[in-house]
Amino acid sequence: MDRVSVLEQEIADLRKVLHEKETELYQIKNGWVMRQLTTPVEPERQNYNNSGVQYSGNLPKWAIERYSRQILLPDIGVAGQEKLCKARVLVVGAGGLGCPASVYLAGAGVGEIGIVDYDTVDVTNIHRQILHYERDEHVSKAESAAQTLRSINSRIKVTPYSIQLDSTNAMQVAANYDIILDCSDNVPTRYLLNDLSVMLKIPLISGSALQMEGQLTIYGYRANNNPKEMNGNYTGPCYRCVFPTPPPPEAVGSCSTNGVAGPIPGVIGALQALEAIKYIVGHSHSGLLVERMLLFDGDDTTFRTVKLRPRNSECAACSDTPSICQLLDYETVCKTQAKEKKKEDTLKSERRKLEKDKRMSGQSYYGFRVKADGTKKWVQDVPKSERRLGPRCKSELCAKGTSRKCSMITETDRMDMFRHFWNDLDWREKKAHVRSLVDTVPAKRRRLKHKGDVSRKGDSKRYHLRSGGERMPVCRVMFLNTLGIKEAMVRSWLSSSDRPKTPKKALKALNVNTFIDRIPKMAPNCKICSKNKEYIAIDNVTNLHQLYNLYVRECAVQGSVPASRKTFSKVITTRNVKMKNVCECITQNVWENQMHVGYSV
Amino acid sequence: MPALKINVHFGGGAELLFDKIKKREVELPAVDKYLPECEKKGWTIRELLVWIKENLLRERPELFLQGESVRPGILVLINDTDWELYGELDYELQPSDTITFISTLHGG
Ligand SMILES: [Zn+2]
Ligand SMILES: [Zn+2]
Ligand SMILES: [Zn+2]
Repeated sequence: MDRVSVLEQEIADLRKVLHEKETELYQIKNGWVMRQLTTPVEPERQNYNNSGVQYSGNLPKWAIERYSRQILLPDIGVAGQEKLCKARVLVVGAGGLGCPASVYLAGAGVGEIGIVDYDTVDVTNIHRQILHYERDEHVSKAESAAQTLRSINSRIKVTPYSIQLDSTNAMQVAANYDIILDCSDNVPTRYLLNDLSVMLKIPLISGSALQMEGQLTIYGYRANNNPKEMNGNYTGPCYRCVFPTPPPPEAVGSCSTNGVAGPIPGVIGALQALEAIKYIVGHSHSGLLVERMLLFDGDDTTFRTVKLRPRNSECAACSDTPSICQLLDYETVCKTQAKEKKKEDTLKSERRKLEKDKRMSGQSYYGFRVKADGTKKWVQDVPKSERRLGPRCKSELCAKGTSRKCSMITETDRMDMFRHFWNDLDWREKKAHVRSLVDTVPAKRRRLKHKGDVSRKGDSKRYHLRSGGERMPVCRVMFLNTLGIKEAMVRSWLSSSDRPKTPKKALKALNVNTFIDRIPKMAPNCKICSKNKEYIAIDNVTNLHQLYNLYVRECAVQGSVPASRKTFSKVITTRNVKMKNVCECITQNVWENQMHVGYSV
Repeated sequence: MPALKINVHFGGGAELLFDKIKKREVELPAVDKYLPECEKKGWTIRELLVWIKENLLRERPELFLQGESVRPGILVLINDTDWELYGELDYELQPSDTITFISTLHGG
């Protein structure tokens, strides 16, 4: 065992050294590449070799050598390779799609690759996320992907972003890139990236995969600046042109719940890289997946390309007068959370409900673990068998006597009773049914001297079964086995009465609502971006913090309990009340302009 | 009017609501017999959706339909072309048309 730990330590140390040396080498080479690529071009020095491939003095010799197999392609050539070396691509998602896509981009020598992922590597990712290895478990996916990409091509710049992309940071990240690859795994991020690509006027190459199927298309393509385009004004549809409304959350599957075959995202990711390369080297939209969608079905290994609708001139995002002029809170818009981790919680409650439904209809289900003190542990993995019709009563006493009619009930009757009880009745009706069949009577006192006293045993129960409208007295065994229930359940049902459940009322939210109704407000200044919004018009209140303090003071005066900050801001958001009455379209433009200035310097 | 034979395809997970069958050839009865109140001579996608709901849909109609149309996130293709280019619900079905319902995927 000692030898194992020694070796493990040594390997870890060596890996650290290796990483340091790789980083050093990368930095040296990188500085050199940048200098090579920025030396001025001399068009006269272009010459042609005998194979017809155009060589240029602009591309260093190592690059011509290294990328020769793709430079040989007439579609790429030296000019295309130069464009590739200068291209900047943002890959959002370092998962099943992002890994293969970025591998080919790095291999092709794309000058700058940004890779975004908030998640860490899990062992369940590795079957499809080919940039992560076993040793990378729990490491940031963006970091792990970036490290592998650098070892594939040390001459390019790879920037990992270990963040959750949202409306506050997306613009800043994406402003440094010319293309976005949507390799994300959720609906909110897809809408976010679409609006982002439209605002930045860069294309979005959108891939998706689930189970055995994949889909691929390019959104937000613009023909301007491409000399190969016949119509320089052509613009392809955006995601919102085709899907203006997000799907209902329950209709959206994910790889972690529905599964995916590793090669499916592999195929789609590789094709995303291909489309990106074609776009960079200047293919016109007729050759790209613009206004078309590729459908890949791994079940029968078919590729189909279908025609999509053109750009919608009234699209909320990409029309000339868009109603979306800034990034939104996409998790709220799509009623879904972007992080799968968070989604697991909702899945958990869904599963609880599912198991409860099964339990209540007599099917087998998974119950909660029970701790030694009898309380539930919130782990639901104890298998419970389905309800079964138990054996009938074989007691000779029941058969001989006249008071109980166990022997008169046929097996078919019992089956019918069991089925009626478990299939036709809901939970409340089940309780009522059991209560109607069990009578509680004071225990019989047989000895004369106790006659009239109350027994310490408590009450006796008289069980009945209903057959053909007749209420027949039976013994306990017959009763429990025929309905397929246990005695404890009967006992608890008899002792408790049905209280109608009162759903919690959002009292505090109500009190916030009346507060908002009362305070003075003004109409928006801008009619475009501020539709349906209201603005607070109180002196000295310019932010949510001050508004909340005002609310708390009012509550104190009225003697009511104030809602929490969280509830308060939630209500404010849903009511669409804003603090500053400024036009967001204009500030957006100002912001965008500043960004352009920022990175061109 | 003779029965109308068309192909109905499901994909992207939409087939799960239809017995997991991705490709079907279906024969639609005369529309004035099937839906006498709609007073139309030919089948349009609008009536097809009603027919699909009553004859093919196995579970959870809300995951396929919304109002008289399909729910957001399902792409409808008429012979491999977005139905928007054919007038969506009002497109009149022709013999041996292929109507495809693709649920969009979001995984990666
Ligand atoms: Zn659009
Ligand atoms: Zn008995
Ligand atoms: Zn505005």
